[in-house]
Amino acid sequence: MNNADGKAIDFATVAGRWFLGAFFVYSGLEKGLDPASFLKLVRQYDLTQTSFLLNSIAGTLPWFEVFCGALLLAGVAVRGAALTVAGILIPFTAVVWHRALVLQGAHGIPFCAVKFDCGCGMGEEFICHKLLENAGLILLALWMLAGRGRSFSLRFSLFAHPGGTT
Amino acid sequence: MRLKPRPTPEPRRTNIVPSRTPTAAILLEAVIVMAVAVGFAFAVNEMSPRGLKLGRNYFPSVASATNLPPKVLPTDENPPAVPEEKSETAEIDQRIKSKGLQPIDRAEVEHLFHDPRYQQGLVVFIDARDEDHYAEGHIPGAFELDRYHPEKDLAADLVPCQNAEQVVVYCTGGDCEDAEFTALMLRDAGVSNKNLSVYGGGFDEWSASHLPLEQGARNSGLAPVKGQ
Repeated sequence: MNNADGKAIDFATVAGRWFLGAFFVYSGLEKGLDPASFLKLVRQYDLTQTSFLLNSIAGTLPWFEVFCGALLLAGVAVRGAALTVAGILIPFTAVVWHRALVLQGAHGIPFCAVKFDCGCGMGEEFICHKLLENAGLILLALWMLAGRGRSFSLRFSLFAHPGGTT
Repeated sequence: MRLKPRPTPEPRRTNIVPSRTPTAAILLEAVIVMAVAVGFAFAVNEMSPRGLKLGRNYFPSVASATNLPPKVLPTDENPPAVPEEKSETAEIDQRIKSKGLQPIDRAEVEHLFHDPRYQQGLVVFIDARDEDHYAEGHIPGAFELDRYHPEKDLAADLVPCQNAEQVVVYCTGGDCEDAEFTALMLRDAGVSNKNLSVYGGGFDEWSASHLPLEQGARNSGLAPVKGQ
């Protein structure tokens, strides 16, 4: 790979990091500023019957996302934040998929015609669009783990590595 | 002369955890990020005026939303037995009844709105939506009661509710269950169940019927009727 290609990849990685960070800050704020609405959406998934757990998920998950998004935007602990973000997205995507299958079964419509507010902070979306969007975000988060694009970051890693930079 | 051997300078420590592999460092970093993020998230929820009270049961229902039979859309093989609108109304009424509450339809609500007892405070309307929606428009004279933040209005709303012969609670309508949970909250606070009714059509149906609206604070005056 020549130097120009390397720089282009680094630049694209920084842009991807900013996009991912901005996405999480935005969607987290959308939910966090109206936790009651988010609570009702989370309840639809029937994840738990324990009110403390349900309230904890609805009350804290949005701010958890905002925090991780802010780290990505600022370039602090980038790979740790990216791994955390992927760790949120993967189970959440599975839960959304499952909910879509339930709705598909109840309504007797094609899978991609299922449209609902998944509590993702973006309002009602068609499920196939949502799944593709989440797959893209997961891939982007996993790409961040490669450690490229260290420019414009306050502290890329909390720990220095041999031969690496902080 | 014998020279003292110079002490070997310690290698420059650029690595806080030299033995850690990059993978382990990333995992440790993720754990630290998660721990701090969890602390941050709980702190913001606690400090936010809109934050949820983690120990409160916001859905103290007999039947949860998911216990109800899933809504089945009509298809060629499964034609609707009754018109869709009526079937949706019946479904909402059934949901309200399943919580031990009485549903009330738009015609009855409109009748109560024009009933002289409404001006005397013997009929009370409770708007169970949040502050922003209430301010945008509500049934004239309705009291605001956001069940997610009952400390704000419950004490003040309870007296008129207890003195009223009929209390009508509404929220947005349709899938919105806040009116039912607010009615349950009022019941638990001492309002007689026989006086409580839930308007399932809610504010959406009321405003779509071009009925009078009020904006801003309670009793601030009628707003122009939409669509006229």
